[in-house]
Amino acid sequence: MSSFLKIAIRNLLKGPSTDPYPYGETFVPKGLRGKIKYNAKACVACRMCEHVCAGGAIQIREVSDKSGLEFILWHNTCAFCGLCEHYCPTKAIRLTEDYHTAHRQEDKYRYVEKGFIKYVPCASCGTPMVPTAPELLNVAYDNVNKDIERLSKLCSKCRKEKVCG
Amino acid sequence: MKKLLQKIAKKSPWLYRINAGSCNGCDVELATTACIPRYDVERLGCKYCGSPKHADIVLITGPLTARVKEKVLRLYDEIPDPKVTVAIGVCPISGGVFRDSYAISGPIDNFIPVDVNVPGCPPRPQAIIDGIVEAIKIWETRL
Ligand code: SF4
Ligand code: SF4
Ligand code: SF4
Repeated sequence: MSSFLKIAIRNLLKGPSTDPYPYGETFVPKGLRGKIKYNAKACVACRMCEHVCAGGAIQIREVSDKSGLEFILWHNTCAFCGLCEHYCPTKAIRLTEDYHTAHRQEDKYRYVEKGFIKYVPCASCGTPMVPTAPELLNVAYDNVNKDIERLSKLCSKCRKEKVCG
Repeated sequence: MKKLLQKIAKKSPWLYRINAGSCNGCDVELATTACIPRYDVERLGCKYCGSPKHADIVLITGPLTARVKEKVLRLYDEIPDPKVTVAIGVCPISGGVFRDSYAISGPIDNFIPVDVNVPGCPPRPQAIIDGIVEAIKIWETRL
């Protein structure tokens, strides 16, 4: 009896343990894998995320006027596994801590994260190419010097000619 | 009397859960949302019920496997109209990681009119609560 009273009094003093959400604020555990954010500026279109995606949620394809690549991620088939972020060399794709995913049926196919990578002309021959993100250079080289900067503005063909002769 | 009943019913939709072949991840989250005091879904005025005949809002998990399809559709038809349908997890919405498998017949909205989607694999209890709040809003307009 006394132990029961002890528990009852302790619980009374502690107050309710119910999470106030949706009427109040809730907690978000650190590292929660929520909706995905994509940064086209850092993306080098290596398509690794598309390849590893567990839910087949990612599509990267050339737009019809051939001016660049379109990135589409459909949250409604994403397993929030985090593989895309893990394998992305430049961390252009990241999982945020935003878990508010409920939406009406009419928005089902609009529940996407989109981005667009605009081609840039090669500095030498003018062939359209995916711009080299500085994030990739930082991963590949300890020290990005002027030569590397210049090479990164060339398409793969011109780069080969320049480096291998 | 009918008006009074309608007014009361608006405030207390009953929830019913159908497992259409889920991996149980989403069902565990649903059970958590409903049964432990921390998330206590009854604060929203709703209550879980055990019979489809008593249900107002139906929560569906799982990708609608080929084996379970007929049973799910039969069960769904037993729920009286009006009803609101919520798809919990990416499985019922698109098939999720099971999409294009020979063993599944989903997505579920090919067979059942869905009103609210709560993607996640599984969604956390707060996200499920968001979905139920949305469903209650729809429920109030249907009654
Ligand atoms: S979190 Fe997983 S399922 Fe979602 S987009 Fe990334 S790799 Fe695909
Ligand atoms: S988001 Fe990352 S992994 Fe995906 S294509 Fe871009 S750079 Fe590659
Ligand atoms: S959405 Fe994920 S957790 Fe939920 S039933 Fe499907 S596979 Fe399991």
